[in-house]
Amino acid sequence: MNQVVFESVRKVFRHRPALFNWVGRERTGETVALDNVSFSAAQGEVVALLGPNGSGKTTTLKLISTMLLADAGVVSVGGFDAQHDGNKVRRQVGIAVANERSFFPRLSARENLDFFAALDEVSRPARPKRIEDVLREVGLEEQADTLVMKFSSGMYQRLGLARALIKQPAVLVLDEPTRSLDASATAHFWTAIRALARQNTTVFVATHNFVEAAALASRAFLLHQGMLLADRSLGRRLGTAETTDELRALYFRLTGVNAFGEGNADTDDFGESFVRRAGAAS
Amino acid sequence: MSSMLDKLSVILRRDLLIAIRHRTGFVMTLAGLLTELTAFYYLSRAIGPGFHPDGVSYFPFLLVGTGLYTFFVMSAQAFLSSVQEAQQTGTLEVLMTTSTAPAELIVLSSVSAFTGSFTNLAVYIFAGAAIFQASIHANLLSCAIAIVLSLAIALALGIFAVTFQVAFQKGSALLWLLGSGLWLLSGATFPVQSLPQPLVMLARMVPFTYAIDAMRGALLDGRSVMAMATTLITLAVFAAALLVIAMLGLSLSLRRARRFGTLSFY
Repeated sequence: MNQVVFESVRKVFRHRPALFNWVGRERTGETVALDNVSFSAAQGEVVALLGPNGSGKTTTLKLISTMLLADAGVVSVGGFDAQHDGNKVRRQVGIAVANERSFFPRLSARENLDFFAALDEVSRPARPKRIEDVLREVGLEEQADTLVMKFSSGMYQRLGLARALIKQPAVLVLDEPTRSLDASATAHFWTAIRALARQNTTVFVATHNFVEAAALASRAFLLHQGMLLADRSLGRRLGTAETTDELRALYFRLTGVNAFGEGNADTDDFGESFVRRAGAAS
Repeated sequence: MSSMLDKLSVILRRDLLIAIRHRTGFVMTLAGLLTELTAFYYLSRAIGPGFHPDGVSYFPFLLVGTGLYTFFVMSAQAFLSSVQEAQQTGTLEVLMTTSTAPAELIVLSSVSAFTGSFTNLAVYIFAGAAIFQASIHANLLSCAIAIVLSLAIALALGIFAVTFQVAFQKGSALLWLLGSGLWLLSGATFPVQSLPQPLVMLARMVPFTYAIDAMRGALLDGRSVMAMATTLITLAVFAAALLVIAMLGLSLSLRRARRFGTLSFY
């Protein structure tokens, strides 16, 4: 069964400068964040969203979680339309955002999780055990009673994951989930995500890390300038170096951007180009 | 219902924990209340014992008027600040993705803000009576009804401010406008009858005027519910209408913010 479906989805952000730019200067017009994007993801699939900054990855995640509503097209989760059945969609989606400060700094990790779990309608008797479980899953059991204002970036990120997991969502949406994690925590996190997928949780991961995409994803979407350029099934090749290289090559070839952010490069020689420039610099 | 009570209890607990962990803020709020009360006490003494607005001594008149005025403005301000802070930290976006409907979440959060301000009001009135000997002759039933209706009006004011904040990122401007208008027209510090006739008529269209009238009657004069029926009914109609309009406005502004991607703009 398809858990998440996008049908011809379009999302545009309009720029309306103050006083029509008579005073100061501000961008005008609009940014097309997603343009006619269609896809579906089944239960238990792990989808990696790849693409340069501003390609539409976070917008896609926000549309799934109903933080944003589409301007055109249909977004549905678990058979419910995000536009009209927002509450039913939200019951199924757990999200870990890239913003690390989205907690109450003067509450401890446990108190924050208790608060969000209650709003996610985890029953009061079930909450203490559930909180212990997710804290253990993200490796924060030692810091459970520390005020989160004393947390490091990595600890905030782990807590964000714990918050996303607490309602045991059918769809898990993660925006650069391992950006601030150390190597051991990252490996632990990947194992946890694979386990969730085996339990039929659909996972969307926006990442700039090809190794992570190859390690986790059963499918990879490549987005660029709001368009879905490629939808690759990775299947049984999960975690191999070949998969990582394939994703990297696909990314540079289709986006037309090379390793130095320059457009229209022949990016198949990414490695050579890097070595050449490194040599010139030294 | 039990789920809603559970949510309300975690919201109240969150705000209580944050308040007590901001130790200095807690003490300073209390000191501010007592300083304000002292200033009004000496103002009423300076004006002299011959001034009896609405038939009561000036200090109790001020005590109820300013106490309720502060309650209206500060509770809406506290509620608005919590939403602004949530926008700045990105918490609002995350809260809006939980399984709790956004409107339910906003109303439950407002209850917490109003509980804090209501506690301040109770401390303010109690200190006025205990320390400065303000004469109180309360009719408890009338007081309870006046308080519930005042809470509903304050809730609507808070939701209006949050609606403006979410829609235009300028909730505090609306609150400032309402706050200053309320100061002039509600009769918080002087009888409304002292104003020119057009402003008296305008004051009669402001719900806070009825709330302060009702509270003074119930708390200082011991008036019964029957004796204040007209005021209480007017207040109830205002409360019901404002709450419905405020909730509709809030739903529309939240939907607009999701569409334009401005939920976390501030």
